[in-house]
Amino acid sequence: MDVWFLTAGILVLWILISCIRAILGPTAPDRLVALDTINTLVVASMIILGVAYREVIYIDVAIVYALLSFVATLYIAKYLEGGP
Amino acid sequence: MIAEEVMQFLVLASLIITAYLSIKFKDLIACAISLGIFSFLLSLEYYILQAPDVAIAEAGIGAGLTTAIFILAIRGTERREVEE
Repeated sequence: MDVWFLTAGILVLWILISCIRAILGPTAPDRLVALDTINTLVVASMIILGVAYREVIYIDVAIVYALLSFVATLYIAKYLEGGP
Repeated sequence: MIAEEVMQFLVLASLIITAYLSIKFKDLIACAISLGIFSFLLSLEYYILQAPDVAIAEAGIGAGLTTAIFILAIRGTERREVEE
C-alpha cells in the first residue's frame, strides 16, 4: 500500500518541477503550458491517491475535476489568441 | 507513513511559492495563471486531507470560474500593472 503513496509523491515532485517553469517562463504561453501540465498531474495524482486510500468515491472527484478544470486554460488561450 | 509526509511537504512548498508569485508578477495574465496553479494545489491539499467534497467545490469555483472571470476583467482593462 505504501508504494502508491510513493508514486503520488513522485507525481507531486513533478508538479514542483512544473512550478519552476511557471516561475522562470518569460512569456505568458510558457506559464499557460505549465498550468496545463500541473492540471494533468493533479488529476493523475488524485487517481493514484484514490487507489492508495481504498475509496471508490475519490475517483469520481477526479472525474469532476478533469471535466471542470479545462475552462481556465480555454479562457486564457482564447485571450492570448487576441480574439474579441 | 513517510511518503505521505513528504508528499504533503512538497504540496505545501508549492502552495507557498505560487502564492508569493501571484502577488509578485507585474503581468496580470501571469498573476491569474499563478493563482490558478495555487487553486489546483489547494484542491489537491484538501484531497490529501480526505475532504473530497471541499476539493470538488475548490476545483469548480476556484480553478475554473475565478480564473475565467479574472481573464474577462483583464480583457476589459489593462494587461500590465503600472508602476506608481
